[in-house]
Amino acid sequence: MALFPITSNFEGDFVLQLVAVDTENTMDEVAAAAAHHSVGRRVRARPGQILRVRRQGAEDFFPRTMKLGEAGLKPTETVEIIWEAPKH
Amino acid sequence: MAVLNRMDWYDLARTTNWTPKYVTEDELFPPKLSGDFGLPQNAWEKYDEPYKQTYPEYVKVQRDKDAGAYSVKAALERSRIFENADPGWKSVMKAHYGAIARGEYAAASAEARMMRFSKAPGMRNMSTLGCLDEIRHGQMQLYFPHEHVSKDRQMDWAFKAYDTNEWGMIAARHFFDDIMMTRDAISVSIMLTFSFETGFTNMQFLGLAADAAEAGDHTFANLISSIQTDESRHAQIGGPALKVLIENGQKAEAQKRVDIAVWGAWKLFSVLTGPIMDYYTPLEHRKQSFKEFMEEWIVAQFERALTDMGLDLPWYWDIFLKDIAETHHGMHMGSYFWRPTVWWNPAAGVSPDERAWLEEKYPGWNDTWGQCWDVIIDNVVDGNMAMAYPETLPYVCNMCQLPILGTPGKKWNVKDYPLEYNGRLYHFGSEVDRWCFEQEPERYAGHLSIVDRFLAGMIQPMDLGGALAYMNLAPGECGDDAHNYAWAEVYRALRATKKAV
Repeated sequence: MALFPITSNFEGDFVLQLVAVDTENTMDEVAAAAAHHSVGRRVRARPGQILRVRRQGAEDFFPRTMKLGEAGLKPTETVEIIWEAPKH
Repeated sequence: MAVLNRMDWYDLARTTNWTPKYVTEDELFPPKLSGDFGLPQNAWEKYDEPYKQTYPEYVKVQRDKDAGAYSVKAALERSRIFENADPGWKSVMKAHYGAIARGEYAAASAEARMMRFSKAPGMRNMSTLGCLDEIRHGQMQLYFPHEHVSKDRQMDWAFKAYDTNEWGMIAARHFFDDIMMTRDAISVSIMLTFSFETGFTNMQFLGLAADAAEAGDHTFANLISSIQTDESRHAQIGGPALKVLIENGQKAEAQKRVDIAVWGAWKLFSVLTGPIMDYYTPLEHRKQSFKEFMEEWIVAQFERALTDMGLDLPWYWDIFLKDIAETHHGMHMGSYFWRPTVWWNPAAGVSPDERAWLEEKYPGWNDTWGQCWDVIIDNVVDGNMAMAYPETLPYVCNMCQLPILGTPGKKWNVKDYPLEYNGRLYHFGSEVDRWCFEQEPERYAGHLSIVDRFLAGMIQPMDLGGALAYMNLAPGECGDDAHNYAWAEVYRALRATKKAV
């Protein structure tokens, strides 16, 4: 367990933000921590959609249950937090 | 006794180079301070200033200028312009004085470096006058706001700002340290006078003077117009130096300095002047949009200045032309949302009428920045103020020291431009900021941004209170909404009407 700073680039927001998370956090928890600083402040919630995390510029998202400590990110590295509509 | 015409003796009188006998040329003009670019003294003697003025002429003209500006101030001192001004206009004055006044004073030392260390006699003469100009600008822009200090504590930042770690001031210091405090005489002439002053001070001093006159603040309009007449003279110090460099095969080095300084100046103006023109100045007093001012006063003029000189447009010109319609909207949203961290009260500038103006000037505004403002407005109307403030820091650029931002909403394009250098991960707000850093990484690598300082534990406690204390923002100085959210009433009424229907 260790505090770990990431840089959040949240879909629809206008600025990168510093977000404190923990290496034990899952990617869903990382997304929620980033959302705390964007959704309801400058970005509208999108009911029914979930948030996924990916390295900036990557096509694929990290698995939702993957722990941050396993993702190979560097401290303060930028991750994109992207809205995903449910798959039917 | 007959007196010779000035042009009969000026060139001879200011030809003050000589061959040193007791010291070497490098001892007289240390290359690190002189910036000789490997050129001998006689190459620099070809420097021919386009604006020739003698000291007696200078003193006479400056005396008249001072008399004009100070008499307007004295005549209007009892007019209560400040007391009756729109709060958005007061914020313009506060932001301007804090960001500019002491920087002008510092510029006197940059001019003094050219005065003492330039190998070009003409440059030494012009920058002697330039140095006196900058002292004048520093003194005036401290004296004029001083009468308001007792009325409004934020006005004290006219003097205080440069001594603080407020984030905008870290950005301003980083830029001015880079282009004028830590460069050789020739580089100062290129980066400060040619790039920053020719390129950008017209914007702050002429554009803003027009808005000031419209807003009825004739004291401020006269003051900054008076300053600009000096700027337009000493801004010409760099041009002949560029000519000497180009003629002696140093175009690439000259171009690089122009490109770095122009970009840094642009970023600083995007946070200082952009919000002032498009959001703080009351709608009825706006002469042109920030973008229109930029296109008329900077893009057209600077393109001509560069090509006349034999230089190229900066390699990033297309990025710059796109940015002038976008970046300052984000800078405004950032300084508004993080408003406790600035020394003025940002005006939101997003009433329905103002939004219509923004949409007209910047088609697509409502679908982009407007989407974020919709959420902010809802929170203000609902009284959900906790959500109308931040709980973390924006990430800032390791070059310009300003928030890393882009266009939000339907055209979301926000992006980090990272770089790993000597094991440290740096973040940049654009490809150009990263390029500037890469030109001379060791020059910039050791600097800590406000976020780096926070992560290093230099800001304690690690919360808003700690951050405000670190930024020297005392109670009564922190910014809040300029109009105390009065603009939200119309949205409240619109909502009530909608419900009734």
